[in-house]
Amino acid sequence: MKLLTHNMLTSHVKGVIKGYPLIIKATEVKVNELEFNGQFVSRMIPKLEWSALIQAAGWLGQSQDLPSTLIPDYENDEEFLRKVHRILLEVEVIEGCLQCPESGREFPISKGVPNMLLNEDE
Amino acid sequence: MQEKQQEPSLLGTKYEDLARGGQIRGCTMDSSMDSTRSVRRTKEEKKLFRRQIKASHTLLKHEGISTASHPTKHLVVSNGGLGNGVSRESLLEVLKEGGTVESLLTPPAKPYAFVTYSSTEAGQNAYTLLNGRALQCHDQSVTLYFSYVEKVLEGFVSPEEELQLLQAVDWTPHTADVTVQKALKHRRVKHYGYEFRYDNNNIDKDKPLAGGLPAECDALLQRCLADGHISVLPDQLTVNQYQSGQGIPPHVDTHSAFEDPILSLSLGAKTVMDFKHPDGRSVAVVLPERSLLVMKGESRYLWTHGITPRKFDVVPVSEVEGSGVMTSDLSNLTLKRRGTRTSLTFRKIRHIPCNCAYPSVCDSQLLSSPPTVPVAEGDACRLEEQYVHQVYEDISSHFSSTRHSPWPHVQDFLLSLPPGSILADIGCGNGKYLGINPEVISVGCDHSANLVQICVERGYEAFVSDALSVPLRSGSCDACISIAVIHHFSTQERRQAAVRELVRLLKVGGRALIYVWAMEQEYNNQKSKYLKEGTTGASVERSDELKTEENMFNQQEEHDRKMSSDMKCTEEQNVTQPRIHIHTNRTAFLSQDLLVPWHLKCNVDKNKGAGSGSTNGPLENTSQGPVFHRYYHVFQQGELEEMCCCGVTGVKVLRSYHDQGNWCVELEKTHGNSS
Repeated sequence: MKLLTHNMLTSHVKGVIKGYPLIIKATEVKVNELEFNGQFVSRMIPKLEWSALIQAAGWLGQSQDLPSTLIPDYENDEEFLRKVHRILLEVEVIEGCLQCPESGREFPISKGVPNMLLNEDE
Repeated sequence: MQEKQQEPSLLGTKYEDLARGGQIRGCTMDSSMDSTRSVRRTKEEKKLFRRQIKASHTLLKHEGISTASHPTKHLVVSNGGLGNGVSRESLLEVLKEGGTVESLLTPPAKPYAFVTYSSTEAGQNAYTLLNGRALQCHDQSVTLYFSYVEKVLEGFVSPEEELQLLQAVDWTPHTADVTVQKALKHRRVKHYGYEFRYDNNNIDKDKPLAGGLPAECDALLQRCLADGHISVLPDQLTVNQYQSGQGIPPHVDTHSAFEDPILSLSLGAKTVMDFKHPDGRSVAVVLPERSLLVMKGESRYLWTHGITPRKFDVVPVSEVEGSGVMTSDLSNLTLKRRGTRTSLTFRKIRHIPCNCAYPSVCDSQLLSSPPTVPVAEGDACRLEEQYVHQVYEDISSHFSSTRHSPWPHVQDFLLSLPPGSILADIGCGNGKYLGINPEVISVGCDHSANLVQICVERGYEAFVSDALSVPLRSGSCDACISIAVIHHFSTQERRQAAVRELVRLLKVGGRALIYVWAMEQEYNNQKSKYLKEGTTGASVERSDELKTEENMFNQQEEHDRKMSSDMKCTEEQNVTQPRIHIHTNRTAFLSQDLLVPWHLKCNVDKNKGAGSGSTNGPLENTSQGPVFHRYYHVFQQGELEEMCCCGVTGVKVLRSYHDQGNWCVELEKTHGNSS
């Protein structure tokens, strides 16, 4: 699971109001190399919840001096874009779980795949 | 799986696999014979001959054949066997030169035959005259070598073994047995390994009997393994003892209880077993004493077998005809009183459902209580769990290999999305659409963990989720697609809920594309690819599929016709839900709620896909895998559109069309708070 996906995921446990972002508890993290596309990254940024991304990076120990708020004119800052590219698309959680911040319910991540299925009673 | 009719094979003697026509060289040479022979042989030839004799004796010993050093009326003819390509007729012609032939035994696939002459003199004469004789058979020449034997080994087990086995069966009745035998009123029965239940003709797999199979059977079972009749040792034995006048009604051994093949050893007496095909054909097979019957393929799964309770059997007169299938030569028949026959039937317990090619007679494949269209949410979930989720997990890799060509209109939709759009593929399967537009941020989800795994392995972003409750925030997607998903929901409410969920994910102005299987496979006189593949006959295997499934469907119809009377009774109590029929692939849909078979193929080459859509993929090997049934609600014209317009608020339908056997709708979210 990449942090791009994590940025979109939310807890859908019944009754939960504040289920975003899901807390990442990673036991195995991998960093892959992916071709950098600055244009693609800069288009992604407005779609993201920046604070959630920073939190997620922190949980994985990958903060790497990313600013806590978006800098203006980031489109032209290649160094910045590369950092975003790395944290969003190159860092991958292989094993661990995602925890609902309100209910505590844990969703497992196995072989890079988060399983968000709820039981019938949830 | 046997494609051709497989008649049960009878084995005359235990044997090694010498089907490649290995020849036995050499023979017994009485020193007294030397003088008559020496004229014809040089010293070197004699030496070679003696070496060959030694080799042949060793071989024959392995076969359980010990040669005699003195003349007898029985001789073993090495190289004169069916396994050498020598026919009975041509051999008999030669043997008759030696004297009056009393009997000739030609065990299948063996490199030898046994001949019994009317007297020792005749045997001796044959030996002298025929030993070393070259026999021209078709395009090859074989050299026949004769050896005297004490007696002809006619049987898979020797008479000594036969006695041992008969004594090994403990007929001391236990209370349970006594009840069973009383109920049966016929033959005596004893089970080893597992309890056989006569109330449902099945095995109680949870009740293994202590002690297993008798140790006396070990040797012959090892032989069966070595000879290649079985690949695993059987773990269930049923011993039946038939007095003259007792029999067993025609039946097929329960598919779900036992594997294939089934072995039956006949001891104590010969009998005649009747095999019947569902189409009416009937074959009577003589089972000689000490013979092993191997029922495999059709003969195990499709033909019934039974023994008519008789005191006398009509059998061929001369022993020359020997064992085997009875011919219609009426001049050669006589009556023979039956003796007491004990049969040992060895079977392997089946632990997974039967997946044979004969579903019409298969209790695993014929649903004894086919599901009905659910009403309650709980029933719907259970149905979908069994006939959608579990199936996709089981067929995931084969399924994935058949899903590689994107549908053009879906592709167009994806390519029309502005760069940087967020796309959610709800029910993404193997991720076929996740990489189509690289400018777009794609994420997929599917209920099948195995399929999602395939997506991630391909480098796509995906997670496991239910389409009715997607863990993405409302309004977070620019576009959503749902391709061949919603038709797996078994109630109108759930299908509606799935559409609503898609709409929830969309931001205002966002678009969704939905594809579902259409009931009308033919539209504008254009047959869909799904139907077309059924009529081209491009693959022989598919037409076989059609046949077996047609049978199943017909069986289903018959079953339903019988059931309709039952339905009338329950109507007073509650509304009876329509049954979910099993659909015959590549034919028109006859109702909206169906179970569609998926034939799992093993060893599928992932590179060789079969077109788009819902095909079953190519044949890689002839062995059939299990059949799975997936639940579908196929949509009628207008049904999907109506569901999107009337059942969901805050959307408008942009396009509505038919594409390759699917009904398709493109939606736009017009305002938020769609419930």
